[in-house]
Amino acid sequence: MAALPPSPARSVCQTAALTKFYGKQRGVLDLTLEVRQGEIFGYLGPNGAGKTTTIRLLLDFIRPSGGRATLWGLDAHRESQAIRRRVGYLPGELALYDRLTGQELLRYLANLRGGVTWSYVEALARRLECDLSRPIRTLSRGNKQKLGLLQALMHRPELLILDEPTSGLDPLMQQEFYRLLAEVRAEGRTVFLSSHNLPEVERICDRVGIIREGRLIAVEEVAALKARALRRLELHFAAPVPEAAFARLEGVRDVRVEGTTLHCTISGRVDAVIKAAAQFEVVNIVSHEPGLEEIFLAYYTPEKVSGEP
Amino acid sequence: MLRTVMLKTLRDHWRALLWWAVGLVGLAVYLVLLYPGIRDTPGYNELLNAMPEALLKTMVGEYPDFASPTGYLNSSLFFMAAPLLFIIFTLTFDGGMIAGEEERGTLELLLAYPLPRWRVVLEKFAALTLTTVALAAVFWLSLVVGMPLVEMEVSPGKVGAVMVNLALLGLLFGALTLALGCATGKQGLSAGVSATLAVAAYFINSLAPVVEALEPYRRFSPFYHYIGRDPLVNGLDLGNVAVLLGLTGVCLVAALLAFERRDLAV
Repeated sequence: MAALPPSPARSVCQTAALTKFYGKQRGVLDLTLEVRQGEIFGYLGPNGAGKTTTIRLLLDFIRPSGGRATLWGLDAHRESQAIRRRVGYLPGELALYDRLTGQELLRYLANLRGGVTWSYVEALARRLECDLSRPIRTLSRGNKQKLGLLQALMHRPELLILDEPTSGLDPLMQQEFYRLLAEVRAEGRTVFLSSHNLPEVERICDRVGIIREGRLIAVEEVAALKARALRRLELHFAAPVPEAAFARLEGVRDVRVEGTTLHCTISGRVDAVIKAAAQFEVVNIVSHEPGLEEIFLAYYTPEKVSGEP
Repeated sequence: MLRTVMLKTLRDHWRALLWWAVGLVGLAVYLVLLYPGIRDTPGYNELLNAMPEALLKTMVGEYPDFASPTGYLNSSLFFMAAPLLFIIFTLTFDGGMIAGEEERGTLELLLAYPLPRWRVVLEKFAALTLTTVALAAVFWLSLVVGMPLVEMEVSPGKVGAVMVNLALLGLLFGALTLALGCATGKQGLSAGVSATLAVAAYFINSLAPVVEALEPYRRFSPFYHYIGRDPLVNGLDLGNVAVLLGLTGVCLVAALLAFERRDLAV
């Protein structure tokens, strides 16, 4: 993706063996993670995986059971106030002061923060088509989400921490939001966003950390992630095809023929299958974009295979 | 009104504050206007003293002359109704304090801003202090303006002494609720425990003259320090003030320490 900062990139956020238990319940385990300046880092995982826990540790809402986190070398707990000055945060479960209007809310938050240029807030509000005059309690979820984004962006923070930022936004607004993030990156600022939506992360992020059941299972460039992802493919033929013609191809597995339709799972490139299919009469090809589960499978399968006799 | 956490908290409560003020003025006017009738009722003391002793002492207190201006104000207003109202006020105000914002989820937004936690607690408590003092001032004003109209002679200074104790008593239970909320993050629980303790403290003070076993514990009750030495007759007792202030300070420090160490609720 364009406008990456010159390497070696400075580290904005680092965690070392960061661990959090809620009583006996697992939050995150042994998390070691780095976010670099000027990148959009996607934090991907299903609900309950520990994404929000990680973010809350970074902002000192909760304290680690083990390990530590630093931002710009500042300790996430002891120097939290200095960190929060430089961060814009959008909570995953956004709750706003319902009795205020959007304008009043942003004025209040800008006063607490200090140093906010009001004309920039108004420009952002216009871009996001945010009606600031209405009481927040009368706003739809999407419009509340826009206010949440606005308050996170309004002081042009060096680091944006966004927990599920696009939830509730309509598709047009999502596009505008993606453009905003690209601008933030172009200015050399950094974004850390969590999501359970793989296509979204693929689309806007430079690197992705994948978390499952509290553990970071991989950190990858988005391109590498796509290459490793398992993709389900369906090929429709004019006549039944022999399973054997596809079974031993490189990177292809779970081959199954049902009548004239062939189902298989592919990791990496589809080239081998397409070439094998070309000897038959192909009616249609359906490719299923990999979902989170397929991504997880791609990272888990090697262990599984080696564990089997 | 949106410049600081304290001003925002005041802004959130101004409507409630207005209604409380209207209610307290109404109560003061009503009781003052009722006084000439009481004063002229022959045998009013005998009437009250005919009540069962325990009931009398827990509901209206122990005063030599219930029909005198001070006896009347103490027994009909300052002994039970006024402290009850002030404590209800400070306990319900706590909904906008830490635990209330935490349960509504707005605390997570607020604390993402560069404010230390202790400052949020102190600003909220400052807002509670200002509103409580304002209510006491309105209450005082309506009494000292009303009393001369019915030739009720009580020194405004002595009424002021009761008001000081009243505000301090309310603030003490407000600070207790704040501390419990800061420690647990649970608004209902905090207000419930505080209310229970307030009722217990009330009965320890008022029953002590009747139940001998309670007498040694009376001085541990904040209600004793509020009304036990009859500030309406004797004026402000600095010892009592110091105890009420000290306990409030202890609660406030506990609130700060507990909140500083705790994980916010998910």
